[in-house]
Amino acid sequence: MTSHVSAALAPGGDIPAPHIEYGQIMPILLVLGVAVAGVLVEAFVGRTWRYTVQVPLAFLGLAGGFAWTIVLGLRDETHAVAAEGALGVDGPTLFLQGTILILALVSLLLIADRGTGSFAAQAAALPGSEAEQRTTAAGIIQTEVFPLLMFAVGGMLIFPASNDLLTMFVGLEVMSLPLYLLCGLARRRRLLSQEAAVKYFLLGSFSSAFFLYGIALLYGYAGSVKLGDIAAEAGRDAGSETLLLGGIALLALGLLFKLGAVPFHMWKPDVYQGAPTPITALMASCTLVSAFGAMLRVFFVAFENLTWEWRPAMWGVSIITMIAGAVIAITQTDIKRMLAYSSIAHAGFLLTGVIATSREGLSSTLFYLAAYGFTTVGAFAVVTTVRDAGGEAGHLSRWAGLGKRSPLIAGVFAFFLLAFAGIPLTSGFTGKFAVFKAAVEADATPLVVVGVISSAIAAFFYVRVIVVMFFSEPEADGPTVVVSPATAAAVVLGLAATVVLGVLPQPVLDLAGHAATQMFVR
Amino acid sequence: MSPGHYLALSAILFTIGALGVLVRRNAIVVFMCIELMLNATNLAFVSFSRMHGNLDGQIIAFFVMVVAAAEVVVGLAIIMTIFRTRRSSSVDDVNLLKY
Amino acid sequence: MDLYVPIIVLGVLAFAFAAGSVAMAAVTGPKRWNRAKLEAYECGIEPTPQPVGGGRFPIKYYLTAMLFIVFDIEIIFLYPWAVAFDRLGIFGLVEMVLFILTVLVAYAYIWRRGGLEWD
Repeated sequence: MTSHVSAALAPGGDIPAPHIEYGQIMPILLVLGVAVAGVLVEAFVGRTWRYTVQVPLAFLGLAGGFAWTIVLGLRDETHAVAAEGALGVDGPTLFLQGTILILALVSLLLIADRGTGSFAAQAAALPGSEAEQRTTAAGIIQTEVFPLLMFAVGGMLIFPASNDLLTMFVGLEVMSLPLYLLCGLARRRRLLSQEAAVKYFLLGSFSSAFFLYGIALLYGYAGSVKLGDIAAEAGRDAGSETLLLGGIALLALGLLFKLGAVPFHMWKPDVYQGAPTPITALMASCTLVSAFGAMLRVFFVAFENLTWEWRPAMWGVSIITMIAGAVIAITQTDIKRMLAYSSIAHAGFLLTGVIATSREGLSSTLFYLAAYGFTTVGAFAVVTTVRDAGGEAGHLSRWAGLGKRSPLIAGVFAFFLLAFAGIPLTSGFTGKFAVFKAAVEADATPLVVVGVISSAIAAFFYVRVIVVMFFSEPEADGPTVVVSPATAAAVVLGLAATVVLGVLPQPVLDLAGHAATQMFVR
Repeated sequence: MSPGHYLALSAILFTIGALGVLVRRNAIVVFMCIELMLNATNLAFVSFSRMHGNLDGQIIAFFVMVVAAAEVVVGLAIIMTIFRTRRSSSVDDVNLLKY
Repeated sequence: MDLYVPIIVLGVLAFAFAAGSVAMAAVTGPKRWNRAKLEAYECGIEPTPQPVGGGRFPIKYYLTAMLFIVFDIEIIFLYPWAVAFDRLGIFGLVEMVLFILTVLVAYAYIWRRGGLEWD
């Protein structure tokens, strides 16, 4: 054994320079480059100009990355590995990356909105202190949010694209660390927001430690962290099964935590409620897409020969996720918390597509992710508009009679809720139908039965919110609806996508199907 | 000492860390336990690297150290902020968000 | 024996640097008498009786610790490069310069935003 190591270390010829396909990974490089440029802007641009520079910079970075992703998708050879096999550039990855970038653009509309002012002027100032009042009165805007957002989006792009587990771990952390910080930056209810950050951070790093130990066990099993090598080693049916199964379990734990699947969901309601709402929108859409992308890649590439080993456990997780998400959501009285439990239930529906392990499962999960992402960003955008003296009116009772006060906003929100419930002619129906169809074809009919039942339970609390909005009397000192242009744009985009994907889903279904034809590269 | 012994040590350290996260109250101590888990993982990587005779595991250990350092910084910043607000770093006091 | 020549040279250089720094300070530094300079050395802070329970540290220490950890550990990537820099050639050099520049960006941010000022 020693001889191998020393052979690798022995002096010899030149080490060949790695071949990096810069063109193929340009979206990632662009987003991370803009993040670094954003840090420089923070350092060298005067306080009054920072916002004016940061917002267009972030927009250009995300839009440029999206445009480049489309160009990559239009080429013929979209099935390759880049950067010495560290990153995969294939149909599903490009679809996921495009979805993440466009959803991040919509979230950026909410984050950059000065009218709602969701972020603390100075995160380091104590809540209620003189310093805080001074910075708020001076109209200082937190602009570190933008570089942090770009770093997080960069990590989200790496996470589902990574073709080896080390890159995946680094992507996971680059995504998570800025999100931990962003969660703690709310301008109002700051203690709640800081509490959310602490919880997310402690639980998140706890779960990534398990994820990492899973990588270590798989490395011990296969002698490599490349997903393809692990699959090949598992196909040979050699080596220690203990290491393999332990590795799968711990790796799945880390991934399921990021999805918020039961029983690893405990962080999600707390964090979604405490975080500034634009960040909640970002997490509910982009992070979910990214985490599902990584989940799909790991289970479709590395563990494809081991379906019999992991499928029963995934069945269990999917069933309790769907049921627990829907049932607990009924008792919620806070609107953001309710949407968080709804997101947990949706993670369960999406898992049925992963369990299908088929081409249809992959393409329907991709479609569902895009459809759900737009609807959830739109719904959280609506949440930011309903405000009273203390900021957003989070409690459900405050939303009573909103339909009379502001029929338009209440109507839009009702439509989003119907899309979550999966009513026909909304994107939620198309997505659910596609995922369940793939699950039935993969002999997972019991899962679909549970899914339909829990959809019915979920429909109950969505409808309850609609009833509260339209059929109860408004409070005398009820919240007002304040819509600024950027937020309105986000709502309109979410609404348009929800309608189009519900009424005319075929082009996007075809796109997802086309992306999934060759499955993941290895 | 065969690499197996190091693996056992790594598993024990990881378990101690995980147990510490679950039973300790002080956020800083909880966080130190998470760091212990990450370092136990490093030991596993290096032992497996020795067993397989390739250097991947040692390079991964470098990356893990850097990620752990970044995590320490982010974590200390967050814990410090809430400590200043609340004058306590006990995770039992973090109880405003529930159910 | 040839193997040890670089180590000996390094040792001599290190000693010369340390001795040179002390000598330089003695020659060029201002000499102002100060009572504090005659007191026991406690990491540069004023010696105080140990409070019950270890006491609390100013928050400034956390900031310094955080900055130290980040900039200390990031340099770990220089180690593998240092082992094989001659075999990695120009590509390795360019990558390392890029890496150091990225770390410098973070340094510039901290410097410009007052993270390095003690008070």
